Amino acid sequence: MICQDFRIVNLNEFSDKKSASFDIKNNEKLLFIGCKDFNLTINVLENVSALISMLFLNDDSSFKLTINLAKDTQIEAFCADFAFETFKNNVSINLLGEGAICNWHLASLSQKADNKSHSISATHYAAKTTARIDNYGVAKDDSHLTFLGVSHIKDGSAKSKTSQNAKIMVFDEESIGTAKPILKIDDNDVVANHAAVVGKINEEHLFYLTSRGLCEDSAKALITLGYLKPILAGFDDNHQKQIMDLIEGRMNNVRY
Amino acid sequence: MSTLRIKNLHAEVEGKEILKGINLEINNNETVAILGPNGHGKSTLFNVIMGHPRYKVTKGSIFFDDVDVLALSTDQRSKLGLFLGLQNPSEVPGVINSDFLRAAVNAHNDNPISTYNFYKVLDNAVKEVQMPFDLATRSLNEGFSGGEKKRNEILQMLLLEPKISMLDEIDSGLDVDAIQIVADVIKKQQQKGQGFLIISHYARLFDLIQPTRAIVIINGKVVLDGGKDIIQRIDKTGYEFIKTELGIEIQKEEAKMNTVSIGSCAVKEAIKK
Repeated sequence: MICQDFRIVNLNEFSDKKSASFDIKNNEKLLFIGCKDFNLTINVLENVSALISMLFLNDDSSFKLTINLAKDTQIEAFCADFAFETFKNNVSINLLGEGAICNWHLASLSQKADNKSHSISATHYAAKTTARIDNYGVAKDDSHLTFLGVSHIKDGSAKSKTSQNAKIMVFDEESIGTAKPILKIDDNDVVANHAAVVGKINEEHLFYLTSRGLCEDSAKALITLGYLKPILAGFDDNHQKQIMDLIEGRMNNVRY
Repeated sequence: MSTLRIKNLHAEVEGKEILKGINLEINNNETVAILGPNGHGKSTLFNVIMGHPRYKVTKGSIFFDDVDVLALSTDQRSKLGLFLGLQNPSEVPGVINSDFLRAAVNAHNDNPISTYNFYKVLDNAVKEVQMPFDLATRSLNEGFSGGEKKRNEILQMLLLEPKISMLDEIDSGLDVDAIQIVADVIKKQQQKGQGFLIISHYARLFDLIQPTRAIVIINGKVVLDGGKDIIQRIDKTGYEFIKTELGIEIQKEEAKMNTVSIGSCAVKEAIKK
Protein backbone atom coordinates (compact mmCIF):
# COMPACT_ATOMS: atom_id res chain seq x y z
CA MET A 1 0.00 0.00 0.00
CA ILE A 2 1.51 3.32 -1.11
CA CYS A 3 0.97 6.40 1.06
CA GLN A 4 -1.46 8.82 -0.61
CA ASP A 5 0.60 11.96 0.09
CA PHE A 6 3.59 12.92 -1.99
CA ARG A 7 6.96 13.62 -0.41
CA ILE A 8 8.16 16.64 -2.35
CA VAL A 9 11.90 17.02 -2.82
CA ASN A 10 13.10 20.35 -4.17
CA LEU A 11 16.47 19.67 -5.75
CA ASN A 12 17.25 23.39 -5.83
CA GLU A 13 18.03 23.00 -2.13
CA PHE A 14 20.96 20.77 -3.15
CA SER A 15 22.17 23.30 -5.71
CA ASP A 16 25.66 23.57 -4.22
CA LYS A 17 26.24 19.82 -4.66
CA LYS A 18 24.52 19.19 -8.00
CA SER A 19 24.08 15.54 -7.11
CA ALA A 20 22.15 13.48 -4.59
CA SER A 21 21.31 9.89 -3.79
CA PHE A 22 18.09 8.62 -2.23
CA ASP A 23 17.28 5.20 -0.83
CA ILE A 24 13.58 4.33 -0.95
CA LYS A 25 12.93 1.94 1.89
CA ASN A 26 9.16 2.25 2.24
CA ASN A 27 6.21 2.28 -0.10
CA GLU A 28 5.78 5.97 -0.94
CA LYS A 29 5.25 8.69 -3.54
CA LEU A 30 8.16 11.01 -4.29
CA LEU A 31 8.03 14.16 -6.37
CA PHE A 32 11.31 15.77 -7.49
CA ILE A 33 11.25 19.40 -8.58
CA GLY A 34 13.97 21.69 -9.95
CA CYS A 35 16.40 19.38 -11.67
CA LYS A 36 18.75 21.72 -13.59
CA ASP A 37 22.17 20.15 -14.27
CA PHE A 38 21.53 17.58 -11.58
CA ASN A 39 22.78 14.05 -11.10
CA LEU A 40 20.23 12.05 -9.13
CA THR A 41 20.43 8.43 -8.05
CA ILE A 42 17.47 6.56 -6.58
CA ASN A 43 17.95 3.15 -5.00
CA VAL A 44 14.74 1.22 -4.48
CA LEU A 45 15.23 -1.37 -1.78
CA GLU A 46 13.79 -4.91 -1.80
CA ASN A 47 10.02 -5.43 -1.82
CA VAL A 48 9.25 -1.71 -2.07
CA SER A 49 6.53 -0.26 -4.31
CA ALA A 50 6.86 3.43 -5.10
CA LEU A 51 5.75 6.20 -7.38
CA ILE A 52 8.50 8.55 -8.53
CA SER A 53 7.63 11.76 -10.35
CA MET A 54 9.77 14.45 -11.90
CA LEU A 55 8.66 17.87 -12.97
CA PHE A 56 10.68 20.00 -15.40
CA LEU A 57 9.41 23.54 -15.51
CA ASN A 58 10.75 26.81 -16.82
CA ASP A 59 14.49 26.32 -17.37
CA ASP A 60 15.07 23.15 -15.31
CA SER A 61 17.05 20.86 -17.55
CA SER A 62 20.11 18.73 -18.36
CA PHE A 63 19.54 16.07 -15.86
CA LYS A 64 20.95 12.62 -15.20
CA LEU A 65 18.86 10.08 -13.34
CA THR A 66 19.75 6.56 -12.33
CA ILE A 67 17.13 4.28 -10.80
CA ASN A 68 18.40 1.01 -9.29
CA LEU A 69 15.71 -1.56 -8.54
CA ALA A 70 16.35 -4.39 -6.10
CA LYS A 71 14.51 -7.71 -5.92
CA ASP A 72 10.68 -7.62 -6.10
CA THR A 73 10.41 -3.86 -6.37
CA GLN A 74 7.76 -2.05 -8.38
CA ILE A 75 8.11 1.52 -9.64
CA GLU A 76 5.74 3.77 -11.54
CA ALA A 77 7.83 6.69 -12.82
CA PHE A 78 6.36 9.86 -14.34
CA CYS A 79 8.37 12.62 -15.97
CA ALA A 80 6.62 15.80 -17.09
CA ASP A 81 8.88 18.01 -19.18
CA PHE A 82 7.46 21.43 -20.00
CA ALA A 83 10.71 23.34 -19.64
CA PHE A 84 12.17 25.72 -22.21
CA GLU A 85 15.75 25.23 -23.38
CA THR A 86 18.18 23.06 -25.19
CA PHE A 87 19.23 20.09 -23.14
CA LYS A 88 19.96 16.41 -22.92
CA ASN A 89 18.40 14.24 -20.25
CA ASN A 90 19.75 10.78 -19.52
CA VAL A 91 17.79 8.23 -17.54
CA SER A 92 19.18 4.79 -16.72
CA ILE A 93 16.88 2.23 -15.17
CA ASN A 94 18.77 -0.75 -13.78
CA LEU A 95 16.66 -3.80 -12.95
CA LEU A 96 19.13 -5.47 -10.63
CA GLY A 97 16.99 -7.91 -8.65
CA GLU A 98 14.72 -10.71 -9.77
CA GLY A 99 11.07 -9.71 -10.20
CA ALA A 100 11.77 -5.94 -10.41
CA ILE A 101 9.22 -3.95 -12.39
CA CYS A 102 9.47 -0.40 -13.75
CA ASN A 103 6.88 1.45 -15.81
CA TRP A 104 8.20 4.77 -17.14
CA HIS A 105 5.96 7.52 -18.56
CA LEU A 106 7.32 10.69 -20.17
CA ALA A 107 5.37 13.62 -21.58
CA SER A 108 7.46 16.30 -23.27
CA LEU A 109 6.57 19.51 -25.07
CA SER A 110 9.22 21.27 -27.15
CA GLN A 111 8.72 24.67 -28.71
CA LYS A 112 10.30 27.96 -29.76
CA ALA A 113 13.62 26.62 -31.05
CA ASP A 114 14.06 24.19 -28.14
CA ASN A 115 16.34 21.27 -28.88
CA LYS A 116 15.48 18.55 -26.39
CA SER A 117 16.81 15.04 -26.18
CA HIS A 118 15.54 12.44 -23.76
CA SER A 119 17.47 9.20 -23.55
CA ILE A 120 15.65 6.61 -21.44
CA SER A 121 17.36 3.24 -21.14
CA ALA A 122 16.46 0.13 -19.17
CA THR A 123 18.92 -2.66 -18.47
CA HIS A 124 17.73 -6.05 -17.21
CA TYR A 125 20.39 -7.69 -15.05
CA ALA A 126 18.15 -10.33 -13.42
CA ALA A 127 15.49 -12.87 -14.37
CA LYS A 128 11.76 -12.12 -14.44
CA THR A 129 12.24 -8.37 -14.62
CA THR A 130 9.88 -6.05 -16.47
CA ALA A 131 10.43 -2.59 -17.95
CA ARG A 132 7.99 -0.58 -20.00
CA ILE A 133 9.13 2.77 -21.41
CA ASP A 134 6.42 5.05 -22.85
CA ASN A 135 7.61 8.41 -24.19
CA TYR A 136 5.07 10.86 -25.62
CA GLY A 137 5.98 14.23 -27.06
CA VAL A 138 4.82 17.22 -29.04
CA ALA A 139 7.22 19.32 -31.15
CA LYS A 140 6.07 22.76 -32.30
CA ASP A 141 7.36 26.20 -33.37
CA ASP A 142 10.62 25.24 -35.06
CA SER A 143 11.79 22.95 -32.23
CA HIS A 144 13.54 19.58 -32.25
CA LEU A 145 12.51 16.76 -29.93
CA THR A 146 14.40 13.48 -29.73
CA PHE A 147 13.56 10.29 -27.88
CA LEU A 148 16.38 7.80 -27.61
CA GLY A 149 16.80 4.76 -25.46
CA VAL A 150 18.13 1.25 -25.31
CA SER A 151 16.27 -1.57 -23.62
CA HIS A 152 18.92 -4.19 -22.94
CA ILE A 153 18.17 -7.66 -21.62
CA LYS A 154 21.44 -9.15 -20.39
CA ASP A 155 22.27 -12.84 -20.67
CA GLY A 156 20.80 -14.73 -17.71
CA SER A 157 17.70 -12.52 -17.47
CA ALA A 158 15.28 -15.20 -18.63
CA LYS A 159 11.51 -14.59 -18.51
CA SER A 160 12.08 -10.83 -18.63
CA LYS A 161 9.84 -8.45 -20.54
CA THR A 162 10.83 -5.13 -22.04
CA SER A 163 9.24 -2.55 -24.28
CA GLN A 164 10.27 0.87 -25.67
CA ASN A 165 7.54 3.07 -27.16
CA ALA A 166 8.25 6.52 -28.56
CA LYS A 167 5.56 8.71 -30.09
CA ILE A 168 6.04 12.30 -31.26
CA MET A 169 3.38 14.56 -32.73
CA VAL A 170 4.93 17.22 -34.98
CA PHE A 171 2.82 20.36 -35.29
CA ASP A 172 4.41 22.26 -38.16
CA GLU A 173 6.73 21.93 -41.16
CA GLU A 174 9.66 23.53 -39.30
CA SER A 175 9.66 21.21 -36.26
CA ILE A 176 11.51 17.91 -36.15
CA GLY A 177 10.73 14.77 -34.17
CA THR A 178 13.24 11.93 -33.89
CA ALA A 179 12.49 8.60 -32.20
CA LYS A 180 15.00 5.77 -31.90
CA PRO A 181 13.88 3.07 -29.47
CA ILE A 182 16.53 0.35 -29.58
CA LEU A 183 16.45 -3.23 -28.28
CA LYS A 184 19.50 -5.31 -27.33
CA ILE A 185 18.66 -8.87 -26.39
CA ASP A 186 21.25 -11.32 -25.03
CA ASP A 187 18.87 -13.96 -23.61
CA ASN A 188 16.51 -16.16 -25.62
CA ASP A 189 13.59 -16.69 -23.28
CA VAL A 190 12.25 -13.10 -23.17
CA VAL A 191 9.50 -10.87 -24.53
CA ALA A 192 10.63 -7.62 -26.18
CA ASN A 193 9.07 -5.03 -28.42
CA HIS A 194 9.66 -1.48 -29.55
CA ALA A 195 7.66 1.07 -31.50
CA ALA A 196 8.32 4.52 -32.93
CA VAL A 197 5.71 6.88 -34.32
CA VAL A 198 6.51 10.39 -35.58
CA GLY A 199 3.78 12.17 -37.46
CA LYS A 200 1.55 15.16 -37.95
CA ILE A 201 -1.58 15.81 -35.97
CA ASN A 202 -4.40 13.61 -37.30
CA GLU A 203 -6.17 15.49 -40.09
CA GLU A 204 -9.52 13.80 -39.40
CA HIS A 205 -9.36 14.75 -35.70
CA LEU A 206 -8.61 18.35 -36.62
CA PHE A 207 -11.47 18.48 -39.12
CA TYR A 208 -13.88 16.95 -36.61
CA LEU A 209 -13.08 19.52 -33.94
CA THR A 210 -13.04 22.50 -36.32
CA SER A 211 -16.36 21.38 -37.85
CA ARG A 212 -17.86 22.13 -34.41
CA GLY A 213 -16.62 25.71 -34.48
CA LEU A 214 -13.24 25.40 -32.73
CA CYS A 215 -10.55 27.42 -34.52
CA GLU A 216 -7.51 25.42 -35.59
CA ASP A 217 -5.35 26.67 -32.68
CA SER A 218 -8.01 25.72 -30.12
CA ALA A 219 -8.50 22.30 -31.74
CA LYS A 220 -4.75 21.65 -31.69
CA ALA A 221 -4.54 22.77 -28.06
CA LEU A 222 -7.36 20.44 -27.04
CA ILE A 223 -5.81 17.49 -28.89
CA THR A 224 -2.38 18.23 -27.36
CA LEU A 225 -3.84 18.46 -23.91
CA GLY A 226 -5.54 15.11 -24.41
CA TYR A 227 -2.31 13.62 -25.73
CA LEU A 228 -0.11 14.79 -22.85
CA LYS A 229 -2.69 14.72 -20.06
CA PRO A 230 -2.23 11.05 -19.00
CA ILE A 231 1.02 12.20 -17.29
CA LEU A 232 -1.13 13.96 -14.66
CA ALA A 233 -1.76 10.58 -13.01
CA GLY A 234 1.73 10.86 -11.51
CA PHE A 235 1.17 14.15 -9.68
CA ASP A 236 -0.76 15.63 -6.77
CA ASP A 237 -3.69 18.02 -7.29
CA ASN A 238 -1.63 21.20 -6.98
CA HIS A 239 0.96 20.13 -9.50
CA GLN A 240 -1.71 18.71 -11.81
CA LYS A 241 -3.24 22.17 -11.99
CA GLN A 242 0.18 23.75 -12.47
CA ILE A 243 0.95 21.37 -15.36
CA MET A 244 -2.47 21.95 -16.97
CA ASP A 245 -2.04 25.73 -16.74
CA LEU A 246 1.44 25.43 -18.17
CA ILE A 247 0.34 23.35 -21.17
CA GLU A 248 -2.50 25.78 -21.86
CA GLY A 249 -0.07 28.69 -21.57
CA ARG A 250 2.45 26.99 -23.85
CA MET A 251 -0.34 26.44 -26.40
CA ASN A 252 -0.57 30.23 -26.83
CA ASN A 253 -3.30 30.69 -24.22
CA VAL A 254 -5.99 29.70 -26.71
CA ARG A 255 -9.53 29.53 -25.39
CA TYR A 256 -11.41 26.25 -25.66
CA MET B 1 -35.31 32.51 -43.71
CA SER B 2 -31.81 31.22 -44.60
CA THR B 3 -30.99 29.51 -47.88
CA LEU B 4 -28.06 27.32 -48.88
CA ARG B 5 -27.43 27.60 -52.64
CA ILE B 6 -25.09 25.18 -54.41
CA LYS B 7 -24.41 25.90 -58.08
CA ASN B 8 -22.53 23.73 -60.59
CA LEU B 9 -20.31 22.30 -57.85
CA HIS B 10 -17.37 20.21 -58.99
CA ALA B 11 -15.01 18.62 -56.48
CA GLU B 12 -12.25 16.06 -56.50
CA VAL B 13 -10.33 13.96 -54.02
CA GLU B 14 -6.74 12.91 -54.76
CA GLY B 15 -7.17 14.00 -58.38
CA LYS B 16 -10.37 12.03 -58.96
CA GLU B 17 -13.48 14.06 -59.72
CA ILE B 18 -16.41 12.97 -57.52
CA LEU B 19 -18.87 15.86 -57.80
CA LYS B 20 -19.56 16.74 -61.42
CA GLY B 21 -21.92 19.70 -61.29
CA ILE B 22 -24.19 19.59 -58.25
CA ASN B 23 -27.08 22.08 -58.21
CA LEU B 24 -29.13 22.25 -55.03
CA GLU B 25 -31.02 24.78 -52.96
CA ILE B 26 -32.38 24.28 -49.46
CA ASN B 27 -34.12 26.62 -47.05
CA ASN B 28 -33.79 26.33 -43.29
CA ASN B 29 -37.42 25.17 -42.94
CA GLU B 30 -36.96 22.24 -45.31
CA THR B 31 -35.90 18.64 -44.76
CA VAL B 32 -34.33 17.11 -47.85
CA ALA B 33 -33.72 13.37 -48.13
CA ILE B 34 -30.61 12.54 -50.15
CA LEU B 35 -30.52 9.16 -51.81
CA GLY B 36 -28.20 7.45 -54.24
CA PRO B 37 -26.04 4.36 -54.63
CA ASN B 38 -22.77 4.08 -52.69
CA GLY B 39 -19.80 5.98 -54.05
CA HIS B 40 -21.71 8.55 -56.11
CA GLY B 41 -20.92 11.68 -54.09
CA LYS B 42 -23.45 12.07 -51.27
CA SER B 43 -20.95 12.10 -48.39
CA THR B 44 -18.46 14.02 -50.54
CA LEU B 45 -21.05 16.77 -50.96
CA PHE B 46 -21.43 17.10 -47.17
CA ASN B 47 -17.67 17.12 -46.62
CA VAL B 48 -17.17 19.75 -49.32
CA ILE B 49 -19.89 21.97 -47.83
CA MET B 50 -18.16 21.70 -44.43
CA GLY B 51 -14.66 22.29 -45.88
CA HIS B 52 -12.86 18.98 -45.37
CA PRO B 53 -9.23 19.57 -46.44
CA ARG B 54 -9.04 16.34 -48.47
CA TYR B 55 -11.61 17.59 -50.98
CA LYS B 56 -10.74 20.21 -53.58
CA VAL B 57 -13.44 22.30 -55.20
CA THR B 58 -12.55 22.82 -58.86
CA LYS B 59 -15.64 24.71 -60.06
CA GLY B 60 -18.92 26.14 -58.82
CA SER B 61 -20.14 27.96 -55.74
CA ILE B 62 -21.81 27.50 -52.36
CA PHE B 63 -23.58 30.45 -50.80
CA PHE B 64 -25.39 30.58 -47.48
CA ASP B 65 -27.64 33.60 -47.98
CA ASP B 66 -25.13 36.15 -49.25
CA VAL B 67 -22.06 34.55 -47.64
CA ASP B 68 -19.55 32.73 -49.85
CA VAL B 69 -19.15 29.47 -47.91
CA LEU B 70 -16.14 28.31 -49.94
CA ALA B 71 -14.19 31.37 -48.79
CA LEU B 72 -14.60 30.37 -45.12
CA SER B 73 -12.59 28.02 -42.92
CA THR B 74 -14.34 24.95 -41.46
CA ASP B 75 -14.86 26.57 -38.04
CA GLN B 76 -16.32 29.69 -39.66
CA ARG B 77 -18.79 27.50 -41.59
CA SER B 78 -19.87 25.95 -38.29
CA LYS B 79 -20.36 29.40 -36.77
CA LEU B 80 -22.35 30.40 -39.84
CA GLY B 81 -24.93 27.77 -38.86
CA LEU B 82 -23.88 24.64 -40.75
CA PHE B 83 -23.52 21.30 -38.99
CA LEU B 84 -22.24 17.95 -40.25
CA GLY B 85 -23.20 14.79 -38.37
CA LEU B 86 -20.55 12.37 -39.57
CA GLN B 87 -21.08 8.82 -40.77
CA ASN B 88 -17.96 7.65 -38.90
CA PRO B 89 -17.09 10.20 -36.22
CA SER B 90 -13.42 10.19 -35.22
CA GLU B 91 -12.28 8.72 -31.93
CA VAL B 92 -10.00 11.33 -30.33
CA PRO B 93 -8.03 9.77 -27.46
CA GLY B 94 -7.51 11.90 -24.37
CA VAL B 95 -9.95 14.64 -25.37
CA ILE B 96 -12.75 14.48 -22.83
CA ASN B 97 -16.16 14.65 -24.49
CA SER B 98 -17.55 17.29 -22.13
CA ASP B 99 -14.39 19.47 -22.54
CA PHE B 100 -14.86 19.26 -26.29
CA LEU B 101 -18.59 20.01 -26.09
CA ARG B 102 -17.99 23.02 -23.86
CA ALA B 103 -15.25 24.28 -26.19
CA ALA B 104 -17.66 23.92 -29.12
CA VAL B 105 -20.44 25.78 -27.27
CA ASN B 106 -18.00 28.53 -26.27
CA ALA B 107 -16.79 28.84 -29.86
CA HIS B 108 -20.36 29.71 -30.86
CA ASN B 109 -20.81 32.33 -28.15
CA ASP B 110 -19.16 35.68 -27.55
CA ASN B 111 -18.95 35.04 -23.82
CA PRO B 112 -17.88 31.69 -22.32
CA ILE B 113 -20.71 29.71 -20.77
CA SER B 114 -20.43 29.23 -17.00
CA THR B 115 -19.71 25.75 -15.68
CA TYR B 116 -23.14 25.56 -14.00
CA ASN B 117 -25.05 26.66 -17.09
CA PHE B 118 -23.07 24.35 -19.34
CA TYR B 119 -23.81 21.28 -17.23
CA LYS B 120 -27.49 22.26 -17.09
CA VAL B 121 -27.64 22.55 -20.89
CA LEU B 122 -25.61 19.35 -21.30
CA ASP B 123 -27.80 17.44 -18.85
CA ASN B 124 -30.97 18.44 -20.73
CA ALA B 125 -29.47 17.49 -24.10
CA VAL B 126 -28.15 14.17 -22.78
CA LYS B 127 -31.64 13.35 -21.48
CA GLU B 128 -33.20 14.28 -24.81
CA VAL B 129 -30.99 11.85 -26.76
CA GLN B 130 -31.28 9.33 -23.89
CA MET B 131 -27.53 8.92 -23.68
CA PRO B 132 -25.80 7.75 -20.47
CA PHE B 133 -24.24 10.85 -18.83
CA ASP B 134 -20.94 9.03 -18.32
CA LEU B 135 -20.36 9.16 -22.08
CA ALA B 136 -19.92 12.90 -21.67
CA THR B 137 -17.06 12.33 -19.25
CA ARG B 138 -15.17 9.82 -21.38
CA SER B 139 -12.67 10.39 -24.20
CA LEU B 140 -14.39 11.70 -27.33
CA ASN B 141 -16.03 8.72 -29.08
CA GLU B 142 -13.31 6.38 -27.80
CA GLY B 143 -14.78 2.97 -27.07
CA PHE B 144 -18.28 4.22 -27.96
CA SER B 145 -20.51 1.75 -29.78
CA GLY B 146 -21.74 2.71 -33.27
CA GLY B 147 -25.08 3.81 -31.80
CA GLU B 148 -23.44 5.84 -29.02
CA LYS B 149 -21.31 7.71 -31.57
CA LYS B 150 -24.43 8.62 -33.56
CA ARG B 151 -26.24 9.84 -30.43
CA ASN B 152 -23.18 11.91 -29.59
CA GLU B 153 -23.43 13.55 -33.01
CA ILE B 154 -27.09 14.39 -32.36
CA LEU B 155 -26.12 15.69 -28.90
CA GLN B 156 -23.63 18.08 -30.52
CA MET B 157 -26.29 19.22 -32.97
CA LEU B 158 -28.63 20.00 -30.10
CA LEU B 159 -25.98 21.98 -28.22
CA LEU B 160 -24.87 24.03 -31.25
CA GLU B 161 -28.35 24.74 -32.66
CA PRO B 162 -27.33 25.11 -36.33
CA LYS B 163 -29.55 26.57 -39.04
CA ILE B 164 -28.97 23.65 -41.41
CA SER B 165 -27.81 20.20 -40.34
CA MET B 166 -26.32 17.63 -42.67
CA LEU B 167 -26.74 14.13 -41.23
CA ASP B 168 -24.78 11.41 -42.98
CA GLU B 169 -26.35 7.97 -42.41
CA ILE B 170 -27.23 8.98 -38.88
CA ASP B 171 -29.51 5.91 -38.65
CA SER B 172 -26.80 3.32 -39.41
CA GLY B 173 -25.83 1.40 -36.30
CA LEU B 174 -28.98 2.46 -34.45
CA ASP B 175 -31.55 0.01 -33.15
CA VAL B 176 -35.28 0.60 -33.64
CA ASP B 177 -35.73 2.48 -30.35
CA ALA B 178 -32.69 4.67 -30.98
CA ILE B 179 -33.93 5.58 -34.48
CA GLN B 180 -37.19 6.71 -32.86
CA ILE B 181 -35.25 8.88 -30.36
CA VAL B 182 -33.18 10.48 -33.13
CA ALA B 183 -36.32 11.02 -35.22
CA ASP B 184 -38.06 12.71 -32.27
CA VAL B 185 -35.10 15.10 -31.86
CA ILE B 186 -35.08 15.90 -35.59
CA LYS B 187 -38.87 16.55 -35.56
CA LYS B 188 -38.48 18.90 -32.62
CA GLN B 189 -35.72 20.80 -34.38
CA GLN B 190 -37.80 20.90 -37.59
CA GLN B 191 -40.52 22.67 -35.63
CA LYS B 192 -37.94 25.22 -34.45
CA GLY B 193 -37.17 25.98 -38.11
CA GLN B 194 -33.95 24.01 -38.49
CA GLY B 195 -33.25 22.72 -42.01
CA PHE B 196 -31.95 19.23 -42.71
CA LEU B 197 -30.08 17.45 -45.45
CA ILE B 198 -30.22 13.76 -44.58
CA ILE B 199 -28.47 10.85 -46.25
CA SER B 200 -29.92 7.41 -45.58
CA HIS B 201 -30.30 4.13 -47.43
CA TYR B 202 -33.42 3.17 -45.51
CA ALA B 203 -37.00 4.45 -45.64
CA ARG B 204 -37.61 3.90 -41.93
CA LEU B 205 -36.03 7.16 -40.70
CA PHE B 206 -37.66 9.12 -43.53
CA ASP B 207 -41.07 7.61 -42.62
CA LEU B 208 -40.63 9.02 -39.13
CA ILE B 209 -39.38 12.52 -39.99
CA GLN B 210 -41.38 13.15 -43.19
CA PRO B 211 -38.94 15.04 -45.47
CA THR B 212 -40.33 17.88 -47.55
CA ARG B 213 -38.30 16.83 -50.60
CA ALA B 214 -36.11 14.01 -51.87
CA ILE B 215 -33.19 14.18 -54.27
CA VAL B 216 -31.14 11.45 -55.91
CA ILE B 217 -27.40 11.87 -56.54
CA ILE B 218 -25.91 9.65 -59.22
CA ASN B 219 -22.55 9.97 -61.00
CA GLY B 220 -21.80 13.12 -58.99
CA LYS B 221 -24.94 15.00 -60.08
CA VAL B 222 -28.47 15.56 -58.79
CA VAL B 223 -30.50 13.55 -61.29
CA LEU B 224 -33.86 13.71 -59.54
CA ASP B 225 -35.43 16.36 -57.30
CA GLY B 226 -39.00 15.82 -56.22
CA GLY B 227 -41.46 14.71 -53.58
CA LYS B 228 -41.02 12.13 -50.86
CA ASP B 229 -42.72 9.46 -53.03
CA ILE B 230 -39.22 8.97 -54.55
CA ILE B 231 -38.11 7.46 -51.25
CA GLN B 232 -40.82 4.78 -51.27
CA ARG B 233 -40.15 3.96 -54.89
CA ILE B 234 -36.40 3.48 -54.35
CA ASP B 235 -37.07 1.49 -51.18
CA LYS B 236 -39.28 -0.92 -53.15
CA THR B 237 -37.59 -1.11 -56.55
CA GLY B 238 -34.04 0.23 -56.16
CA TYR B 239 -32.36 2.54 -58.70
CA GLU B 240 -33.14 0.58 -61.87
CA PHE B 241 -35.81 3.08 -62.99
CA ILE B 242 -33.15 5.81 -63.20
CA LYS B 243 -31.68 3.91 -66.12
CA THR B 244 -34.92 2.77 -67.75
CA GLU B 245 -36.92 5.99 -67.36
CA LEU B 246 -34.24 8.72 -67.29
CA GLY B 247 -31.71 6.97 -69.49
CA ILE B 248 -28.86 7.53 -67.03
CA GLU B 249 -26.26 4.80 -66.84
CA ILE B 250 -25.25 4.26 -63.20
CA GLN B 251 -21.46 4.04 -62.99
CA LYS B 252 -20.20 1.18 -60.87
CA GLU B 253 -18.09 1.93 -57.82
CA GLU B 254 -14.47 1.20 -58.70
CA ALA B 255 -13.03 -1.67 -56.65
CA LYS B 256 -9.79 -0.64 -54.95
CA MET B 257 -6.86 -2.70 -56.12
CA ASN B 258 -4.50 -4.18 -53.58
CA THR B 259 -1.06 -2.69 -54.11
CA VAL B 260 0.56 -6.09 -53.55
CA SER B 261 -0.76 -8.52 -56.12
CA ILE B 262 -0.55 -12.28 -56.03
CA GLY B 263 1.53 -11.94 -59.19
CA SER B 264 4.26 -9.91 -57.51
CA CYS B 265 4.42 -12.31 -54.56
CA ALA B 266 4.68 -15.24 -56.95
CA VAL B 267 7.47 -13.52 -58.86
CA LYS B 268 9.43 -12.97 -55.64
CA GLU B 269 8.96 -16.62 -54.68
CA ALA B 270 10.06 -17.70 -58.15
CA ILE B 271 13.23 -15.57 -57.92
CA LYS B 272 14.07 -17.10 -54.51
CA LYS B 273 13.87 -20.60 -55.99
